[in-house]
Amino acid sequence: MNDVQKVQYKERYLRAKRNGEKFFPESLYRDMLVMFAIFLLLVGLSIFIGVAAEPKADPSDTTYIPRPEWYFLFLFEMLKFFPGSLEWVGTTIIPGAAVIALLLLPFYDKNPARHWKKRKFAIGFMSVVVVAMVFLTIQAAVTTPPQKNASAVAATLPAQITAGQDTYSVQCAECHGPDGGGGVIKGVKGLEGFKMKAINGQDEMYTRTDNTLYNIVEYGQPDLGMPPFGKAFGGELSRSDIDNLVTYMRYSWDNRVQMPKEAAQANAIPVLGPKDIPSYSVNIAPIVKRYCVSCHRPGKENNNYLMGGYNDVMNSGDHKPNVVAGDLNSNLIRMIHGEKITAGGAMPPTKSLSPDLIAIFERWVKAGAPEKPAK
Amino acid sequence: MISKRMFPWLDERLGISGIYKTIFDRMVPKVNWWFTLGSATLFLFALQVVTGIMLSVYYVPSPDKAYDSIQYIMNGVAFGWLIRGIHHWGATLMVITVFLHMLRVFFYAAYKYPREITWTTGVLLLLATLGMGFTGYLLPWDQKAYWATTVGTSIAGAVPGIGDFILRALRGGNDLSGVTLARFFSAHIWMFPLIIIALIGVHLYLVIRIGISSIPKENE
Ligand code: HEC
Ligand code: HEC
Ligand code: HEM
Repeated sequence: MNDVQKVQYKERYLRAKRNGEKFFPESLYRDMLVMFAIFLLLVGLSIFIGVAAEPKADPSDTTYIPRPEWYFLFLFEMLKFFPGSLEWVGTTIIPGAAVIALLLLPFYDKNPARHWKKRKFAIGFMSVVVVAMVFLTIQAAVTTPPQKNASAVAATLPAQITAGQDTYSVQCAECHGPDGGGGVIKGVKGLEGFKMKAINGQDEMYTRTDNTLYNIVEYGQPDLGMPPFGKAFGGELSRSDIDNLVTYMRYSWDNRVQMPKEAAQANAIPVLGPKDIPSYSVNIAPIVKRYCVSCHRPGKENNNYLMGGYNDVMNSGDHKPNVVAGDLNSNLIRMIHGEKITAGGAMPPTKSLSPDLIAIFERWVKAGAPEKPAK
Repeated sequence: MISKRMFPWLDERLGISGIYKTIFDRMVPKVNWWFTLGSATLFLFALQVVTGIMLSVYYVPSPDKAYDSIQYIMNGVAFGWLIRGIHHWGATLMVITVFLHMLRVFFYAAYKYPREITWTTGVLLLLATLGMGFTGYLLPWDQKAYWATTVGTSIAGAVPGIGDFILRALRGGNDLSGVTLARFFSAHIWMFPLIIIALIGVHLYLVIRIGISSIPKENE
């Protein structure tokens, strides 16, 4: 821009200012209105969408599909065009050139014109870049596969306790009993007859911090017979799983902390009124989950009797059927009464079910072992 | 009334009316709603500072505690979910408004004489805002954060020649660790905010000194 053009510009700008408005209140009024709208939008987003819960960072979980913050997605997507030894073009040359081009724009764009009709190249170029960025972002969002084993993340304390209890029932109950009470182990390979100490009392809870409990579960105590459960050590549990487990143990067994009412209700086995007809989904599944599944799942010694769902409970096992509708001489009923039969011994082997739970099983079988509650 | 005598006394010493005259009581060209994007960004930044300070009261920047402290903010602290929600969505919105603000400046040619330096400080503000996003993303120490930062830092590590140095400088070692978290935390709450505040100071000084551009006419 030469000096004549500069003077011209200044004159024109002064005129525009004179025909303009006061910054306060006119201009500022528009600004404030937008700010207010933004504030409402943010509160709305926080209330109605919130922040998605994610599991805790787990360096050993290499199946996680990394994805950057959405406004870096276009860069991420662009890298796909520069495979292998060309990668540095995408990571360094293009972003670096873009930043320098932006920084120096006023110094190499010598075109004095300001109206878009006289800046067709600049406007066109920038438009293409913006469209490309939007396109790459959408492309990246569409093509990244959904997260594998994306289980719901327990975000609230009651949800964490419930998740922890479910994990406990599956992973720990076979050795430590349904409630951490221990006892003489039966039916677990390698620990037959081992007298398991209780882990649900003051001795344990007052002297083990959350961190200690976490480490016991993650690393195990292999010399004592406690297997490791952390993914890094060949176990099945992620960090969030173990955290939830420890939360469950703490809130259920430590008499210094108060179990939230909501969690106690969610984890209680539904009570059965004297006239109710029990069904698998409402009454039996919660008992099975807590007392049986830790042994009766794939990969455990159990005569191939899997108890993961209704059909398996009714139709699997070396001595199937273990449940016969209406027949109180079914294997399952005899075994939970502690009878020793050809199918095996007392179930659960270590500590028998309480009489009211046994009664629920009996009433269920008598009622024809329905899967779903009658409407 | 006491304030009637107080104000001239104070004004004589502080120059309040002078500040008012230069900042608020000035003529500006008639412009449109696109010109609110800069102040919208400024508002979002202020909101990020306020909510960020509140979050830092409970947030603990260590790999053991970070995740739990965020859980506590979400479930245990009164209105913690709202503060975190505003900070989370505010970050996203701020990136959008900075970018749109830049596009508005570009399409109206407002970066040309005499506003070149306003533009340059603006580009630096854009980069610093992205830096805030990148460093803030790691702080919850959840899966998304951990793996995104693993990939992000390794991309920076692919720069030929000095890549390895950059990677180690960002991570504070070969792998992501508590050192990385401490670094990102420090960058997120000290380095980038101070840079941004300084740049906004220059940016706004120039905007007020030069005056906001007018919408270009056909003959310009
Ligand atoms: C294969 C059997 C087995 C399974 C499954 C098992 N444990 Fe253990 N666990 C043991 C044995 C054996 C010990 C050692 C007991 C002793 O020291 O007397 C033990 C000890 C413990 C202790 C006490 C350690 C201490 O020093 O206080 C805790 C707590 C514990 N286990 C928790 C769990 C949790 C939680 C799970 C489920 C993720 C689990 N265990 C699953 C066998 C098992
Ligand atoms: C500690 C592990 C363990 C627990 C807990 C457990 N079982 Fe078993 N169950 C076994 C084993 C092992 C067998 C194989 C027979 C044997 O060794 O007694 C078995 C066999 C059975 C069988 C016979 C299956 C067949 O077809 O041969 C039934 C029925 C059964 N269990 C029911 C139950 C029920 C119902 C529960 C829960 C209330 C339960 N079990 C809890 C370990 C367990
Ligand atoms: C934290 C980020 C930023 C803040 C808080 C900010 C704030 C502002 C404000 C309040 C204005 C007044 C005019 C308006 O609102 O449009 C303005 C003008 C301006 N901004 Fe920014 N800005 C930021 C980033 C940027 C970026 C990324 C650029 C460009 C690369 C930029 C370039 C400019 C220019 C050139 C002007 C003068 C425009 C004119 O006079 O018409 N700013 N900025």
